Amino acid sequence: MLCTEQLVLRQDDQTVINQLNCAFGPGEFWAIIGRNGAGKTTLLHALAGVQTIQSGTVAVDGQPLNQLDPLSRARKISLLLQEQEASLTVSVTEAVAMGRYPWPSTRQQDQQLTDEMIHRCGLETVRDKSILKLSGGERRKVEIATCLAQQSDYLLLDEPLNHLDLVHRRNIMQLFTEYSQDHAVIMVCHDIEVVKTHCSHVLMILENDCYLSGSSATMLTEHNLQKLFNDSNQHD
Amino acid sequence: MDLTDHWASSIWFWLVLLLVLMTGSLLVGSVTTNISQLWQPDAPQFAVVWELRFPRVINAVVVGACLSVAGLLIQNLVKNPLADPYLLGVSGGAATVQLLVIMMGLSLSQSWLFLSGFLGSLLATVLLLKLSYLGELRPNKLTLNGVVLAFGFAAVISFVLSTAQGQQIKSMMFWLMGDLSFARPSLLMVVLGFLACVWLYRHARSLDVLARGDLFAAKSGVAVKKMNLWVFVLTALLTSMAVAQAGTIGFVGLIIPHLVRMLVGHRHRDLIPMCLLVGGCFLLLADTLARTVLSPVQLPVGVFTAIIGVPVFLWLNRKV
Repeated sequence: MLCTEQLVLRQDDQTVINQLNCAFGPGEFWAIIGRNGAGKTTLLHALAGVQTIQSGTVAVDGQPLNQLDPLSRARKISLLLQEQEASLTVSVTEAVAMGRYPWPSTRQQDQQLTDEMIHRCGLETVRDKSILKLSGGERRKVEIATCLAQQSDYLLLDEPLNHLDLVHRRNIMQLFTEYSQDHAVIMVCHDIEVVKTHCSHVLMILENDCYLSGSSATMLTEHNLQKLFNDSNQHD
Repeated sequence: MDLTDHWASSIWFWLVLLLVLMTGSLLVGSVTTNISQLWQPDAPQFAVVWELRFPRVINAVVVGACLSVAGLLIQNLVKNPLADPYLLGVSGGAATVQLLVIMMGLSLSQSWLFLSGFLGSLLATVLLLKLSYLGELRPNKLTLNGVVLAFGFAAVISFVLSTAQGQQIKSMMFWLMGDLSFARPSLLMVVLGFLACVWLYRHARSLDVLARGDLFAAKSGVAVKKMNLWVFVLTALLTSMAVAQAGTIGFVGLIIPHLVRMLVGHRHRDLIPMCLLVGGCFLLLADTLARTVLSPVQLPVGVFTAIIGVPVFLWLNRKV
């Protein structure tokens, strides 16, 4: 179980998440939805242990994240970043193999998993290419394949479908759904249709530090969605 | 360009080439020598070869190796394949502090000089990173800031040398273009350099991941702050070792890591040993040319590294 307790997060001197309690378990496919700037990415980073926490705790399987060493944390949790940072170049195969970094190296198994993820994400034709020479969609698939190769219990995805065309969206969502059978997947996503089709649970970040969570069926009501997207006019 | 299947990507090729170059370099110079005379203590060339050329050959190999690994590290630190300790002012910082220490009459042994240079390159790197970090590290800003800082240090060096007359200091050539004829590697440096490379080799996999970005490395399980601190300290250490031995030599740290990436790919467990060897070969070749092309006139070795390095930098900058 990956849970937060009284979690408070700040970004650029502003409190973006205030007193959040939630829990994500294996076999669940979560969507985090909320408006731009609501703190979805910051929350995801905190869940992955790469964001400073103002107060409260994030714990994975009963252990607070800040007490875990980085390697053990990465064996439990993998994170797909929303944006690419400045990076030196590597080939696609080398990039995907980096997903195996947290695990003790067993060359044959690493190779096998890397190849499998390259195959499943449809990257065979570019496997020897430099990642800096790929198109936006191909680069996205490389990052996704890297996260899947990490084989962690909790897979956190920050807008995974960016840059992907319709065919690849379907294919990639299929992969995530399969992965969520025996792991937990938590995805930040703006596409409500995708959420409706694939996600079992939803966490909504509303205004005024209001959070709603539950199964997709109970959460994605007309009323809630209006609250999420139409509220702002009353405040402006 | 990918040459990973090329015969030149074998580490044995470079090992043999290094030995050949070392032997060749011992034999050529203003006094011609043939190979049989290397082991004849009564031959007049014996002293020239073993007391003058041999330390210089070793010096060139060690300095070349240090500079190319330093280049590899600084590129990892700033995630920019165009970074080089000389271009970004790290060498300049080391040289400036060393020179100031000498001018103040504090100069002691080669080891103390190297430690003061170490302090100088640490300061230069901190200054560069502080100036270029605005929320995130911007590669363009960093490169420009580094080049300007390098000019600043060169100006300080020129100023100090111009005003210091009659004192026993090495030439302006040494401080601005590099010269391998002075020092012999000190034991402290060789031991530290060796330990640094062993540490880097053991952390090769972390360096691979770190090259993909700090946040990427953090989420992948690298202790990023600790690793970056080490990379930063070892860049400064290796650079200042090279500067203490040979002054400021440019472009080795730029060209060699790039060439080696074409040869062996991007994994640091392959990159580090290969950089050591190829860097050693390259600087030895450049220095041998520098002292033989217009013999008996000796040219600064930095002239040759720059003649090769400048076109390579410009070509790379078109591609990046």
